[in-house]
Amino acid sequence: MDTTRRGFLGAIGQVTIGAAASVAGASQSAEAAEESHVPHWGMVVDLRKCIGCQACTVACIMENAVPEDAFRTHVSVYELVKDGQDPAMVMLPRLCNHCDDPPCLPVCPVEATFKAENGEVLVDASKCVGCAYCVQACPYDARFINHETQVADKCTFCFHRTQHGLLPACVETCVGGARNFGDLNDPDSEVSIMLRENEVSVLRPEMHTNPNVYYIGLDDVLDGRVAGDSAYHPEMTGQAHAHGEGL
Amino acid sequence: METQVQELVGAVHDAAWQPWAVQYFFLIAISVTALLMALPAFVFGRHTDLRAARLALMVAVTTGITAPIALLADLHQPFRFWEFFVYTHKSSWMAWGAWIVPSYVVLMLLFAWSLHRPEFYRMGQDDWRFAWLFRLFSLGGAANGFARPLGMLAGVAALGILTYTGMEVMVVRARPLWNTPFLPLQFAATGVVGALGVMLVLERLLNRDAGLEATINRRLAIALATVGALGVAWFAVALSGISPVHSEALASVAGFSVWKQIALWGAASIAIPFVLALTLPQSTGWITGLIAIHAAWMFRWTVFMGGQAVPKVGSGLYDALMPSGLGGLMGVIGTFGLWVFLMIVYTTFLPWTDATPPASGQSFGQTQSKPARTQEI
Repeated sequence: MDTTRRGFLGAIGQVTIGAAASVAGASQSAEAAEESHVPHWGMVVDLRKCIGCQACTVACIMENAVPEDAFRTHVSVYELVKDGQDPAMVMLPRLCNHCDDPPCLPVCPVEATFKAENGEVLVDASKCVGCAYCVQACPYDARFINHETQVADKCTFCFHRTQHGLLPACVETCVGGARNFGDLNDPDSEVSIMLRENEVSVLRPEMHTNPNVYYIGLDDVLDGRVAGDSAYHPEMTGQAHAHGEGL
Repeated sequence: METQVQELVGAVHDAAWQPWAVQYFFLIAISVTALLMALPAFVFGRHTDLRAARLALMVAVTTGITAPIALLADLHQPFRFWEFFVYTHKSSWMAWGAWIVPSYVVLMLLFAWSLHRPEFYRMGQDDWRFAWLFRLFSLGGAANGFARPLGMLAGVAALGILTYTGMEVMVVRARPLWNTPFLPLQFAATGVVGALGVMLVLERLLNRDAGLEATINRRLAIALATVGALGVAWFAVALSGISPVHSEALASVAGFSVWKQIALWGAASIAIPFVLALTLPQSTGWITGLIAIHAAWMFRWTVFMGGQAVPKVGSGLYDALMPSGLGGLMGVIGTFGLWVFLMIVYTTFLPWTDATPPASGQSFGQTQSKPARTQEI
């Protein structure tokens, strides 16, 4: 499966054509390989293309009914001043890293958090007791307690969409094509090619979580806890609100 | 290269563990350490310590009942608590805690009941209005030879609580302030301080015995010295750089003036009662007791709410250290209110001054024909 909108849809077409070809007499070994291939989803964020428009943030909220006081993904925006040079605006889209060694998983007391077949870290909402231990354990602040459902909530890589051959909402809506999604197990996927052809980094490498979200052009000062002055933080009231539509 | 960073847009994460959690860790630590302090008199026959042990038992029972209720309240899906027992995830310390907490509470209550059973039986034999109730409480007998094994089992469960509560928080690598090997020891030591503080306040309210006050004050001084030593060691290890996790813990809060004030406040909360308890053990029970309770509570508030105020990836601090709104406040007031209610019930309806260890040589299940009523308070 490919990484861009066009590539992703093209890949679906390839699978369909592949199936037809096998009927027409393609080799059984090729068919077996096709069937046994299990995608491992990952994301490559090209920070050079991110303009901080927050379209991904809004798309995620609308797609996943994220409550008003939380985010499954958002774009942090920083102003960097290096050696007294002119300030630079730097964007950093943040989301669950769907780690291969997720620290949120072993702490869950009731096994509500699990790793899906394609690598997504998911929460079984019907099982979650809302203890928030996973929220504490996530080194990326990517989890939260949904005050409407009272269970742990997080990015799912839009599992409900990818199951039907669609891209995650944030990727689908990304204006500059900064967010790229695809199969890391497929050497020909665009994300695999991007990983091969670019210098990439991950957030919080010292945590050894083996994340599946990669960044191109990530400044070292931003890959951990960002030491700097913070944005204005409005006072938290503890009141949960839903995102209303319209004014 | 010098880089200045200004966060222009960032997400705020509120505290996922609310003040209810602080109350739980505070009360359960007091309960288990108080129970452990009651064991020498009630299980190992150190009769000279009986009066302090009765206070300790009272503290263990009342806080031991309140604590799990606070814990349940901190769950966002409290009615799914049964899932802890159906889907136990062995890699989670919280999952183990779900088994240890009820075990401790049941064993601790059975132990307390067994110590009161002879008096329940005696009160049930008297001719008075509620005799039937105490006959029910005594289950028709006065034997309490099983108190010793029950006390030992409750003691083991108490050690289990200290272990799991410490480890549960310590293993969270994502929060540097929690991820230090010192934390379980600090929880235990401040738990002892809190338990002795509550015992001192209760002693002033219920006993008013200068000798007992001095005894508990001296123990408090030792406990405070231990907490102080652990604190100094924590800073020394963090500053020396020999332990990266400690250095990271210190670095995560260093530079924020609010944390400097917290450190100074915490040091004063240890030093002041220590000096008072050591120099004036017979007349300072109220003040040392109250400051000790404050120190134990403040430590947990700082660790939990302060720890959650430190962003994992963002800049600055969140306002979790002092959360606004009634919800958090009600968590604190509600649990303290429940504890006060239980204290009133305990001191009003239970013959707590007669809690008696089983007679030496009394075998399991043996009935005391005429249990002696102790007047010593």
